[in-house]
Amino acid sequence: MADDDADDRFLVQAAFEDNKIQQNILFFEDGEQLVDYLTNEKNTTPARFILLDLNMPKRDGRDVLKTLKNNAKLSQIPVIVFSTSKAPDDINSSYQLGANSYVVKPSSYEHLKEVIQKISDFWLNTAMTPM
Amino acid sequence: MKILSSPALLKRTLNEGQLSWAIRFLFLVSIFLIIILSFSYHSINRELIFYSERVDHSQQVLNKIQEIEKSMAEVTYHARGYLIMSDTLSRNMMLKKLDNLPAQQKSLRGLIEDNEAQILKNQLLIKAIDQFSDRVREFARQSPREFTYEETNQLLTNGSSLTLAVNTILQEMMGVEKKLMSNRLQSRNNYKEQIFRFNWVIMGVALIFLISAFILLERELKRNKLYKIELEYKVDNLNRSNSELEQFAYVASHDLQEPLRKIRSFTDLLLARSTDLTPESKMMLGKVDKSANRMQLLIDDLLSFSRLIDTSKTATSVDLNSILSEVKGNLSEKIRETSALIRHENLPTIIGYDSQMIQLFQNLISNSLKYVKEGQPPIVEVTCREVLGNDIPDVPDVKISQEDNLFYCITIADNGIGFKKEYAERIFVIFRRLHSQEKFQGSGIGLAICRKVVANHNGYIIAEGKEDQGAKFYVYLPKTTIYS
Repeated sequence: MADDDADDRFLVQAAFEDNKIQQNILFFEDGEQLVDYLTNEKNTTPARFILLDLNMPKRDGRDVLKTLKNNAKLSQIPVIVFSTSKAPDDINSSYQLGANSYVVKPSSYEHLKEVIQKISDFWLNTAMTPM
Repeated sequence: MKILSSPALLKRTLNEGQLSWAIRFLFLVSIFLIIILSFSYHSINRELIFYSERVDHSQQVLNKIQEIEKSMAEVTYHARGYLIMSDTLSRNMMLKKLDNLPAQQKSLRGLIEDNEAQILKNQLLIKAIDQFSDRVREFARQSPREFTYEETNQLLTNGSSLTLAVNTILQEMMGVEKKLMSNRLQSRNNYKEQIFRFNWVIMGVALIFLISAFILLERELKRNKLYKIELEYKVDNLNRSNSELEQFAYVASHDLQEPLRKIRSFTDLLLARSTDLTPESKMMLGKVDKSANRMQLLIDDLLSFSRLIDTSKTATSVDLNSILSEVKGNLSEKIRETSALIRHENLPTIIGYDSQMIQLFQNLISNSLKYVKEGQPPIVEVTCREVLGNDIPDVPDVKISQEDNLFYCITIADNGIGFKKEYAERIFVIFRRLHSQEKFQGSGIGLAICRKVVANHNGYIIAEGKEDQGAKFYVYLPKTTIYS
């Protein structure tokens, strides 16, 4: 997950924990860290999906999305844009850049827990992802 | 927004109508003067030609008189020759020269026909010449050799007096004609001077009028330029404030919601995870959560309102009947719940923004479904008629340009709780409500959105209501609208 907000990273982690999802979650503070990690040859564990915030310092979500989707190998990883914005512009441009889905950050913890549960259910258990 | 101060030049001394009349007047007067000018040039030329002709004519008369005088002198000369030498040559020459006189006489008469005084003198002249001719002819028949000295002397005296008589009349005629000519020359010059002075005056006046018309026009153009600059400045300011509003919308959507979301999330987390909370602190945390939730709703509403500012979408033709059925679909659950009855007439098709029209009708009808009298199923009636812009009541600020335009007046009437008459305007103000949150939930944005939508369509909306007797909303939409 790439998000510049420490509170959001904490809440998402808490939601994963409370949902008892047994997956290794990696957190990045900005887009650059995420891209650096993914392009590093040493990291062999494939990512199941990426939760990507749109508004971040250095490289923002749109920039990261462009880089990922233009890279033959990295474009296979499902990207879920995870942002506060409900603006039609943000939603449309994200899908145009190749986002696999767009989820608005829920405004309560209960709701967040539910959303994380659904995302995991779908992308980890329901959908088939590239091997 | 700051009101721009107009430059001093923009303060008119004449209003627009007066100015346009002044310019027209100046123009007409100038054109009139120019016509007079050319007409007077024409007449001066004609007069000058006329006077020149008259002067020429006098000259001809004078020439003719001199010719006669010359012939007389020649006759006299040859007569004297004949008297001395008594030869046939002199006699013949004398008679030949005498024969010239009648022709010359005749052509003189032709020239002076238009002059009364000269005609009188001419008659005297004819008589004198006739006497002279008779005497000469008589003399020709005589033989001067036989004359005695006395006879010769008498003849000479007699001949001189006859010649003198003719010559005197000729001199008189010449004098008259010369005087006439100098008079004509004088009046020609006078006329010339006068007409020139007159022309200069007219030209000056025409120039003054033309120049003042030019100055007025020039000033108007300069003013227009300033107006344009001011207008551009205002449009610029408007664009800036619009983009500032958009930025504000973005700030509200993202930056204000962020901390709010944290408040809610962490109170939630606190409630879920902490085991040592007293019931009282749980209750308080619940209140924090509820307030934050409400604030979230307000921000959402504010945002959807500010998004209405953006009219960059192009207007299309919108069938209000299908808009209404879509609205009914959106509200179907609520309609079923309240067993509401929504009736509508056949509605027109307008040029506008369909999503905004849906918001307009949905807000109005859901209000009708919300503010109902207890135990009475809501009845909503939507009707439509056409009115003139002039006839829209209670709107003092119908745009002047729209006064003669046709409007669709769409009325949405219900049988709900209504409202007091004095609140008819207040209910359109954003977040202004007539009822407490406990009685009827809501943020007070609905009617503000309605007013904004109608304004976006260059229309008007007014409310009419009585307490406990239902509410009526009149939506006026222009029948034909030009969207840029």
